[in-house]
Amino acid sequence: MGIRGITVSDVRGFGAQGGSAERQAGSEFSEDNFVVKVKMEIVVSKDQVEEIIAKIIDEARTGEIGDGKIFVSPVADIIRVRTGERGEKAERMTGGRSDMFSVGSSSTGAR
Amino acid sequence: MLAANIHPISSPSPAVVEKSSSFALSWHTAAPLAKFKPNRISTSLKSSLQSIAVPEVDKDATSAQTRVEILSEALPFIQKFRGKTIVVKYGGAAMKSEALRASVIADVVLLSCVGLRIVFVHGGGPEINQWLGKLNIEPNFLNGLRVTDASTMEIVSMVLVGKVNKQLVALINKAGGTAVGLSGIDGRLLMARPSPNSSQLGFVGDIVSVDPTIIRPLIDNNHLPVIASVAADSTGQAYNINADTAAGELAAALGAEKLILLTDVAGILEDRNDPESLVREIDIKGVKKMIRDGKIAGGMIPKVDCCVRSLAQGVRTTSIIDGRLKHSLLLEILTDEGAGTMITG
Repeated sequence: MGIRGITVSDVRGFGAQGGSAERQAGSEFSEDNFVVKVKMEIVVSKDQVEEIIAKIIDEARTGEIGDGKIFVSPVADIIRVRTGERGEKAERMTGGRSDMFSVGSSSTGAR
Repeated sequence: MLAANIHPISSPSPAVVEKSSSFALSWHTAAPLAKFKPNRISTSLKSSLQSIAVPEVDKDATSAQTRVEILSEALPFIQKFRGKTIVVKYGGAAMKSEALRASVIADVVLLSCVGLRIVFVHGGGPEINQWLGKLNIEPNFLNGLRVTDASTMEIVSMVLVGKVNKQLVALINKAGGTAVGLSGIDGRLLMARPSPNSSQLGFVGDIVSVDPTIIRPLIDNNHLPVIASVAADSTGQAYNINADTAAGELAAALGAEKLILLTDVAGILEDRNDPESLVREIDIKGVKKMIRDGKIAGGMIPKVDCCVRSLAQGVRTTSIIDGRLKHSLLLEILTDEGAGTMITG
């Protein structure tokens, strides 16, 4: 898909389910217990959003309570620390979607 | 089974089954090397060897070479699963037939010897009915599910924990393993609550929590826990728990590598009427689609649900295998082909 980077954190969380309990490690957890979760943060360009959502749901859905939620939020700016690039140039990564779809040219044009 | 590629749907070749029986044969022999080098043994050694009870090996069926080749092929699987916990739910035909029971137990002891950590969970429907009969208690069924009133629950608890459990423990001990028989009640291993339809079905429970603390020392020391699927609630009232569910939640609590359910069918069939259409490997997405399409029905659905719940809680792979096959456990764990359907996350 052209995703070349992601940040993953181990977190704890719960989501009140209106009565149904979430199962974790064989036991049921009610609303006031924190359950171990994984948080993934991916920054993409706007036109990739729907594709990524579909892919995440496809692969991660189990149908059980605890599958989680996807929050889509806008990103004000992207700056690459190493070079100081901002915006689209900073978002681009080698081997990513822009490289996959651009024809031949190795320059920054194409998109 | 290695979950590397999606295997095309194909029927198990006869060679596989043969292979496994010869593989098993090599383990039944106590001293294979001695048998094949008679010239090297001195007189005194020979007489002491004769006093060892060595079961007869049919040398014509499998040469020593074949046997050790097969053994050596199992290495990658043994390496992959060594030290990992595997929860096996035992039931159905494999429980009723003496020969199959002996083969399952031999498999369990073998796997335990090579370093896999097996946890054995069992139910015991047919035995319960037998004993209810002996005590002149009529078994009641509602829509195919047993109604467990107070007197029935007493019998269920006695038969599962007192008879079936200890019988299995004794058989495993006889085969050379060290088994310890427990129920969900012991050490608060499984805590129950009445299931939503308990007003109609009586003392049937759902699992509230699993606390594997009590069996960890057993597993770590290469002992085999044998768990009967009876649990108590916080007031001490015993409940009958579905053995598949108990196995699934236990696997989740232990962070098991595999959950294996022994059943009386070949596995999940793509086409119910075609026994050759066994689905060897499928993921949660695929199996949910099959349920939606109606390809999985009846008693298979709760088993599949139990597998999905375990996978959602972190068990690496779950398998529904054919308990009617001899050495089905070895086939599933130590070969690529397996003995049924593997559902992965």
